[in-house]
Amino acid sequence: MAMPGQLMFARRLGPTARLAIWFAIGVACVVLDVRYQAMEGLRSGLALLLEPVRVVLRAPTDVAVELNGFFTRHRLLQKERDELLAERTRLRLDAEAARDLARENASLRALLGLRERPGQRAIQAALVYQGHDWFAQRITLDRGIASGLGNGLPVVDDAGLVGQLTRVYAGSSEVTLVSSPEQLTPVYIERTGQRGLAAGTGHGRLELRYMPTQADVRVGDRLLTSGIDRVYPPALPVARVTRITRSQSGPYLRIECVPLAGLDRARAVLVLTAEPPSHPAAPPPAGKAPQ
Amino acid sequence: MNAAPHETGSWRRIAGTLTLAVLLTELPWDGWALSLRPDFILVVVLFWVLHQPARVGFGIAFMLGLLADFQDGVVFGQHAIAYALGVYLVLFLRVRLLRFDPLRQAAQMFPILLAVQLAAMLAGWLAVEPPQGLAILLPVPSSVLLWYAIALFRRAWHGKSLRDAE
Repeated sequence: MAMPGQLMFARRLGPTARLAIWFAIGVACVVLDVRYQAMEGLRSGLALLLEPVRVVLRAPTDVAVELNGFFTRHRLLQKERDELLAERTRLRLDAEAARDLARENASLRALLGLRERPGQRAIQAALVYQGHDWFAQRITLDRGIASGLGNGLPVVDDAGLVGQLTRVYAGSSEVTLVSSPEQLTPVYIERTGQRGLAAGTGHGRLELRYMPTQADVRVGDRLLTSGIDRVYPPALPVARVTRITRSQSGPYLRIECVPLAGLDRARAVLVLTAEPPSHPAAPPPAGKAPQ
Repeated sequence: MNAAPHETGSWRRIAGTLTLAVLLTELPWDGWALSLRPDFILVVVLFWVLHQPARVGFGIAFMLGLLADFQDGVVFGQHAIAYALGVYLVLFLRVRLLRFDPLRQAAQMFPILLAVQLAAMLAGWLAVEPPQGLAILLPVPSSVLLWYAIALFRRAWHGKSLRDAE
């Protein structure tokens, strides 16, 4: 059985012993990572190393998208422009109304002696990498600490909440999507104002938890962030209710929702960071990941 | 005996193929392509373990497993343990595997790759939380196909002479 290159006798351990050793090291890695979060240094090192590679390998796709855009039909572009112009007009009207309301709100808050809401600043980021979603659903963005990002910040796209930054490296960051299992988002139902907790279930879906069976929920209701956790700003659209089932055994409804943001389509997203408070009296809006 | 340098596995070639595997994994895969993406790194590592066991072994497999863990954003050690198991199985079945033609060799690799994937699933399950369905097993058949392609390529590259020499 002495094959050339096969490791028998002599100075080296047999495969079984070496498997046992590496297995022990592997278990140590898992424990260090899960229990003590001691592997974040290695993570940031790998992130630093792989980030330029990812950006370079993303380039062909970007060029393909550009080319595709270049050959878009003229009429299609015109149609899209007309729609955008109409939407802009509508949005302008809305913005006027919102400005009016904001003024009114500010004076009312002043009358009631309430603190001003912290402002938001948005930082643009693009998706550079997506890993397997066997255990949690995460995407990697091309911005990091250098752009002023920090752990726990909300990430949105044009339609709604995408997720939350859970790991931030020097030049990149990882977003845990709202649909990721065990990712909790405090929400309220837009129509009734009832507060609840949306939890990701994986497979790009969420469920609204702990709603009593007599609660007023209908299919099609929109869920917005409630903002009571001070992580997400209030009233970001999160999900839409798609199915409600009454369970025979439990006291709660089973409410399934789909996220409004294009979790698997979004290429460009915005990361919301709190603006520095205008007056020193306001405490910094600290947020901790609800994970 | 194991120090005799083979023409087949110079360090440059090993490093080149491993780098290529990492780069392929770093491509922006998504959707179905991502679910079905073969585990390039694992297949290349096991290929070299089969043909150059003195040069590529547990250490390299473990480090590349840590890299795979980083790429998926999962807990460190999950793929590393699984890859080490894969190396062990290939070393264990090495003599047998080398006797087969590419198709049968790929068929023999199926249970090994399946065991590696199951080990990764189990490690993640015990460490963090249950996995999302059985999609974790989808890369196994595609990895087997990749193995078949590589084995065919190797035979075409070296011709029959080297096979007889072994």
